[in-house]
Amino acid sequence: MEDDREKIFGSIRRGLRQAEQTDAARENRSPLKEPLSADFQIRFEKFNSELVKLGGEAYVLDDFKGISDFLLRHITDDAGVFIYDEVSGIYDSALSELRSSRTYKLSTDFENDYDKRDVAQFGSAILPCAACIAETGTIVLRNSMRLPAALATRLFVITEPVRLMASLDGLFTDSFRDAGGSNLFLVTGPSRTADIEKELVTGVHGPKEVYVIFHKE
Amino acid sequence: MEIEAKHFKELYKKQIVKDRLRSNLSKATLQAVDSREESFKEVDFQFLRAQAKMIREESVSHLNELLSEFEDQARKNGCNIFYAQTPEKARAYVLDVAVRNNVKLIVKSKSMVTEEIELVPFLSEKGIETVETDLGEYIVQLAKEKPSHITTPAIHKSRTEIAELFHEKIGTEMNDDPKFLTAEARRVLREKFLAADMGISGANFLIAETGDAVIVENEGNARLSTSSTNVHVVVTGIEKVIPKFSDLRIFMRVLGRSSTGQKLTSYVSVLRGPRTEEEKDGPREVHIVLLDNGRSSLLGTDHQEVLNCIRCGACLNVCPVYRNIGGHAYGSVYPGPIGSLVTPMYFGEKNAPDLPFASSLCGNCSEVCPVGIEIHHQLLSLRHEIVAARKSRIERFLFKNYRKTMLRPGRYQMIGRFARALSKFSVVRRIMKPWTDYRDIPEFPSQSFREIYKSGKLN
Ligand code: SF4
Repeated sequence: MEDDREKIFGSIRRGLRQAEQTDAARENRSPLKEPLSADFQIRFEKFNSELVKLGGEAYVLDDFKGISDFLLRHITDDAGVFIYDEVSGIYDSALSELRSSRTYKLSTDFENDYDKRDVAQFGSAILPCAACIAETGTIVLRNSMRLPAALATRLFVITEPVRLMASLDGLFTDSFRDAGGSNLFLVTGPSRTADIEKELVTGVHGPKEVYVIFHKE
Repeated sequence: MEIEAKHFKELYKKQIVKDRLRSNLSKATLQAVDSREESFKEVDFQFLRAQAKMIREESVSHLNELLSEFEDQARKNGCNIFYAQTPEKARAYVLDVAVRNNVKLIVKSKSMVTEEIELVPFLSEKGIETVETDLGEYIVQLAKEKPSHITTPAIHKSRTEIAELFHEKIGTEMNDDPKFLTAEARRVLREKFLAADMGISGANFLIAETGDAVIVENEGNARLSTSSTNVHVVVTGIEKVIPKFSDLRIFMRVLGRSSTGQKLTSYVSVLRGPRTEEEKDGPREVHIVLLDNGRSSLLGTDHQEVLNCIRCGACLNVCPVYRNIGGHAYGSVYPGPIGSLVTPMYFGEKNAPDLPFASSLCGNCSEVCPVGIEIHHQLLSLRHEIVAARKSRIERFLFKNYRKTMLRPGRYQMIGRFARALSKFSVVRRIMKPWTDYRDIPEFPSQSFREIYKSGKLN
């Protein structure tokens, strides 16, 4: 079907001939009144306080045993666990007990596409992340994580302290712009709505619970 | 395309008497106003607003360059781009994509532009089930109504009304707890996501330098709509383009705060195109439909700044008129102060001649607008245009003579005497009834101030 490109551009050009042409000069300073320090502990406290306000939780765990215990404590149902291969590679020993006691599937077990009905069965998803943002309590995900991150009831993210950035200023930069892949997804707390009389309800379509673990070892 | 906004005067009279509607609206909008204020405490609002305004102005005044840059990048990313000047053309293209892919069920996330072109009824008429998946939109779709707010479509409905609706339409038990109702919607809509073969969404921003479409939401339905099917169609307006990826650091900070009082909405999806070879989810085919529908004709006019709008809905929440009559009274998918501007602009002044007058011109809207649109000035200027265009010969004659009279004291005195004499006849009052029905007309004194002064009766 032929589109209206030329007609629309003609109309834009006719209009813009009379318009004032300006080149905006952006100011690069942060709009935050109090910029966050580079210290991990301070950033973590801010990240956690934002996430808790939204209904999520963040932890700093020192060793694999701690991560393993945490996961076993929080994943008590038998709905199954989706584990992203990158996490399973790095945290193999932290996941071994979980793997032996719960039904699970690795992302690499899906040869090509995820089967969405299959992924929807999982109660929990354990994913890595590209970054976390202290300013807003946000997790940044990339690539093949959108379905598991959106369909699981419980979302666990395991990452390193170095990925915790102070603010959105660090995210919207050239390095994230040029990182490749077909998508970039930000998750800020559990899925939520206030569509019914402005009463806040979590877990509309996406996860009802969100946990972020920083592995400090 | 004829729209209901033409009948605004009848529509608002029906809505304004609904006490429950007004109390729902007051509660919801005042709560939104408080959350907005609270959320801006941590950041410098004036700085953000100045930056956002500047970037939007730059975007709109370079629309041809930015749009072609976006198009080139998006095509390189593997997206199909389609320009549509009219709603008909946009709808036909979406239908064509659906038919070619043998689509039976579409999951759709919230998008004002798809409301503008009435896409869902069109696709449903063609036999393709199209389900709204945003909770508020789902509620209004079940109720066969239209959204009444840009960001909170079912703001006019109480929990009891929604419980009754769910009971009747999807067979849930009568329970008006929002948690229960939301869980029921999740259950029904999850099945739709799993069965769907195509997704449709809008886009909040299009980034020229990368070809990205950015979608902002809270529920996760847009994420599922954009990743659970093989075909995805983004339908959006040509004005949504912004120059750089880094500009998101400004817009992400103002959009959530202005619309729902959140520092950042729960989900932001930056879509760069179809899935790559290595990826295991996401659409294989992405189409981006860019709609004009009157937008380009605003360029170079006094109303160009209206195109800067990022549809946050903040101006609706602070508007005393919106709070009393609600979104449906406007008879347009775009209600409230911004709706009173864009409706006549996109659908023609003949279709919405009264909307620019649905404002007290208090200026609350301009004060909260995160991109600094002078909404109340725009409304006033649109009023001038409408009045100038529809003035009758009699009206023109009267105003011309009014001007002459006000400039010549002798003539003013003579007309004054004449008016005082005439006002004694009841027939004059009868003639003026359409005017005096809504306004008090003071009694004319028997003498003018000048006559009283001359007679020396003035102390
Ligand atoms: S006019 Fe301004 S306040 Fe109103 S919806 Fe648009 S951006 Fe928001």
